[in-house]
Amino acid sequence: MIESILLWAFALLTAPLFAGIIFKVKAFFGGRKGSPVLINYYTLIKLFKKGSVYSTSTTFIFKLGPMVSLGAAATALLFLPIAGHAPVFSFNGDVIFILYLLGLARFFTIAAAMDTASPFEGMGAAREAYFPIICEASMFMILILFYRLTGDLSFAAYFSGSQPFGLWQTAGSPILFVVIAFFIILLTENARVPVDDPATHLELTMIHEVMVLDHSGPDFGFIEMGAFLKMFFYASIVARLILPFELGNPALNLALFSLGVLIVYLAVGVMESILARYRMDRVPKFVLTSFALAFFATAITLEFLR
Amino acid sequence: MNLFFLSILIISAGGILTLLTFRFFPLMKILGVLGIGAGCCIGMLDALSKLSHDGSASASFDYLDTLSLAFQIDGLSAFFLLAIFAVCLLATIYSFDYMSNTGKALGTATNYFFFSLLTASMALVVVAGNMITFMLSWEIMSLSSFFLVVYDHQVLENRKAGYLYFIFSHVGAMFILAAFGVLYSHTGSFGFDAAGMSHAAKMLVFILAFIGFGSKAGVFPFHVWLPHAHPAAPSHISAVMSGVMIKTGIYGILRLYSILNLHTPVLGTMVLVFGVVSGVLGVVYALGQHDLKRLLAYHSVENIGIILIGIGIGMIGVEAKNPIMAVLGFSGGLLHVLNHSIFKSLLFMGAGVVLKKTGTRSIDALGGLLKNMKVTGVTFLVGSLAIAGLPPFNGFVSEFFIYVGSFRGIAVGSPVFAVSLLAIVSLAVIGGLALACFTKVVGVVFQGEPRSRAAHDVNEKGPAMLLPMVILAGACAVIGVYPGGFMFLVLKAVAALGLDYGRIPMEPFARISANITWGATLFLAVLLALLALRRILYQGKTIGRAGTWGCGFTQPTTRMQYTGSSYAASILEFFKPAAPLEEDHPPVLGLFPRQTHYRSHIHDIVELHLNRLVVNPVLWLFDKLRWIQHGDIHLYIGYILLAIVVLLFFVKP
Amino acid sequence: MIHPVDTILSLALLSILFSFGSSRLPPLIKVLAFQGVVVCIVPLFIGHDMSTGSLVFTLATLAIRGIIIPGCIYLAIKRVAIEREVEPIVGYHASILAGLLLIVGATVASHHIDVPYSSVSALLLPTAISLLGAGMFLLMARRNAIAMVLGYIMMENGIYLVGTTFSVRARHIVEFGILLDVLAGVMIMAVILQNITRTFDDVDTARLRTLKE
Repeated sequence: MIESILLWAFALLTAPLFAGIIFKVKAFFGGRKGSPVLINYYTLIKLFKKGSVYSTSTTFIFKLGPMVSLGAAATALLFLPIAGHAPVFSFNGDVIFILYLLGLARFFTIAAAMDTASPFEGMGAAREAYFPIICEASMFMILILFYRLTGDLSFAAYFSGSQPFGLWQTAGSPILFVVIAFFIILLTENARVPVDDPATHLELTMIHEVMVLDHSGPDFGFIEMGAFLKMFFYASIVARLILPFELGNPALNLALFSLGVLIVYLAVGVMESILARYRMDRVPKFVLTSFALAFFATAITLEFLR
Repeated sequence: MNLFFLSILIISAGGILTLLTFRFFPLMKILGVLGIGAGCCIGMLDALSKLSHDGSASASFDYLDTLSLAFQIDGLSAFFLLAIFAVCLLATIYSFDYMSNTGKALGTATNYFFFSLLTASMALVVVAGNMITFMLSWEIMSLSSFFLVVYDHQVLENRKAGYLYFIFSHVGAMFILAAFGVLYSHTGSFGFDAAGMSHAAKMLVFILAFIGFGSKAGVFPFHVWLPHAHPAAPSHISAVMSGVMIKTGIYGILRLYSILNLHTPVLGTMVLVFGVVSGVLGVVYALGQHDLKRLLAYHSVENIGIILIGIGIGMIGVEAKNPIMAVLGFSGGLLHVLNHSIFKSLLFMGAGVVLKKTGTRSIDALGGLLKNMKVTGVTFLVGSLAIAGLPPFNGFVSEFFIYVGSFRGIAVGSPVFAVSLLAIVSLAVIGGLALACFTKVVGVVFQGEPRSRAAHDVNEKGPAMLLPMVILAGACAVIGVYPGGFMFLVLKAVAALGLDYGRIPMEPFARISANITWGATLFLAVLLALLALRRILYQGKTIGRAGTWGCGFTQPTTRMQYTGSSYAASILEFFKPAAPLEEDHPPVLGLFPRQTHYRSHIHDIVELHLNRLVVNPVLWLFDKLRWIQHGDIHLYIGYILLAIVVLLFFVKP
Repeated sequence: MIHPVDTILSLALLSILFSFGSSRLPPLIKVLAFQGVVVCIVPLFIGHDMSTGSLVFTLATLAIRGIIIPGCIYLAIKRVAIEREVEPIVGYHASILAGLLLIVGATVASHHIDVPYSSVSALLLPTAISLLGAGMFLLMARRNAIAMVLGYIMMENGIYLVGTTFSVRARHIVEFGILLDVLAGVMIMAVILQNITRTFDDVDTARLRTLKE
């Protein structure tokens, strides 16, 4: 239990660090030196020190949004086995609970954006409401496959100990598709290129960044932190799937896990450097690919299990 | 049973008293609210005690010496009674401040009268012990609700909605009557009993009844009346109709399922597929609406879909000999019946306050209401979270049970696997779409800035309207965090279905409920911790107020806000084949363009095709038969004579 | 438990989904080239005895399928500056969902067909049928002439996969015959395309209707 809580704290503390690596990768591709790896910590501290300016159009929902999105992401990590160690909490069905909790976070992020009466934020909100619908279908498709393989509905049963290796053993190559599907979900849910470009200069073309335009100070810090945690949540799932090994020693496991997470963040950074953002009407197709892959993996795994 | 009849008596008495005292407006309202409210309270307590003590009761009276009126309360009836009385109680309290048009005293009195009749007849429908009683109560229910729909009969649109509802409810009743007819012809008794019927006959009865009950429940494609009738009725009536009246259709399906004891895999699959189609298309059409109450009405179609998915999973579980899947499916569906009655009546009441205070139902004309309507806004937000199935509110709990039940089906063989997969994926899609739809409603109606004059300077005076909404919002949260006790009640109702599982073990369900409680508490604890952290971080900081950042644009107006139509447009584009969009938008031309406008309308494909395939042929046929209607009374007597003669000759005794 | 062939075949199935989702010709050609390579290396893993001769044959088909044919088409569209959009009749979202249904349908259908060597891999027959179906789908659902040619090549890949389940010698004779036909077809197409574009400035097959008198 103590170890699980320590690992959870590890996740909370290192999530901004990993997110900083993406900047480094992009700087490397751009031939720049780039910001320091610890940039996100500096940003967070700066934001927490500041006060806030609120739009006269906003209500309490605007202040509630950042807390709910951070709270949901932090709660989600409580249920996720980090570095293969048993999670802090777990019950049969926690996967559904967590997915819906992240849905709650989305609801409040959108509501907070609509609160400002800004046309730009409304635009981002509409996109934020649209794309994750397909993501959710894809997540549940993957869940169906995992349930079929393990007979359980909890993160602990999928990603703790040598479980991910067991998934590879029973299903084999389809898990590769699941990994890709997950990666696409990661890019969509966390508003990365090619779905969304957090670095564009035009608010009109953003999704997540434009929704949080009006937030400032500690509230914005909460949003940033929530985004880091959410990214870490998806990245650690992918990391456990690509490096599914159990080394027997907690320290080694943690090192391996960190390596896996690092690989995922590097991959995101490389994607951002070599790809351009899709046109908005192309995005659903991209996300639908993830659903197709998950469906496909389920269909062929069933064929094997027959 | 006596308590039940007492409650029905008090409710009816309350209704009749309003008719007698309509000249004294406040007195009439007090009498009506007190009568109906007291009756509902008694009925609710009675149902609750029956449900928790496994009590069942029955009574029968002879009517005209030949027909017997039989009443029977078991777990299933008691469960529905609970929902009916609870929602009607709150709706009548709400009506005290909502029905404030003193110039329309007689109309208000008739409204109360028919409302009491509707409440009593709904209660009678679910306790009916034989076909005669059932059909009688069913017809009273349909007729009284028809009169409630046409309350504002001066408006042409409302009259049309009323006629549409009238036709649908009677065609539906005809199907139910046909089903009962088949049942009677095989068993020879009016009792609810199907012993010794052939499989094919049972199937026929079920399908006929499913169409009939489905048209009352608003199952796609029999839902056409619903989005017209619900907006037309006064809001507390919409709350009752959408919250509980359409559930009598679900009750009918479940009751018939338990009577027929029909064992075929087709049944569950059929119910589930209807559920999936209703669920997905219901929410897609809802997303495209511009009228707040119409949008909520389409959400009823969606939620009936979710309930049917649960029931379908239950039926499939029974066939697959998987008791846990079966009970999870049925209990999820039934809990959703209760949950939907809570959050949907809450939402309709909220929409009612908005309509009353702003005078418009058009979503795109509203905005920023949360600032002046705090209670309405917050309770509406709670209802939205609940209907979108998000934790920690009640909608999530029932969907969770259906999910877990469907996942059980994944472990079973291939045909069950396929339908369970369909159920899970469509539930996920419905959840996502409902979230999109309610962020639209909350975001456009309650947040931002007022988009028209109607939304300026509003207030929410009227404590009798606010109290029921607060109670309902509280119920959403309580069931969402502590579902255990409610699960207990639901399982009693499932036990009454007669699934031959003996006593259903409470333990696994109690554990699931405890897990939900646990997860919700955990999340709330994290949220509280963050709240504390936020307070510390803002200690002694300067808080500024300024206009919204317009991305460099300095002259924003409220007309520039994103509207509900544009919010939903891209999602609707994805579902274009099922939801054709009609747009009217003269293009902007030239250097000095003239004023233009934009109007869009989402077509319901059933409505489109119903006109083409059913209404027009029927009109054509009746046009051809017009010569029968001569206007000559002697000829009509001749027709009657002819009919009697034909009947005497051809019908065997 | 998992045969390497299954991994390879699932890549082939995947290429179907990607080909349905591609909106432009160059990626579609790349997907087809990838599919050609994947399909060609199946025999290396399937457990037939590999003689030097059959190895050469396999490598030759790989070269034709993976490099020469896609290369020819790629050069052709480069040369004549054809419309890059595949001009779908059925939209991309619907196409991807149709692809999923197609794969499920092919899997169900494959249970009713008995073919030797189908025991080698559970996926061989479903993949072959899916490729055939997918090729036909591309032929039906895309208006662009090149996309239709690519659909035809996809069907051919499917036929090749069915062929691998038969005995080694007969496979090469049948397969090589077909492949050479396709190669010749592609060459002729490249030439004709030049002429069509010169006449119509476009390769929309719908416009060929104007030839009807």
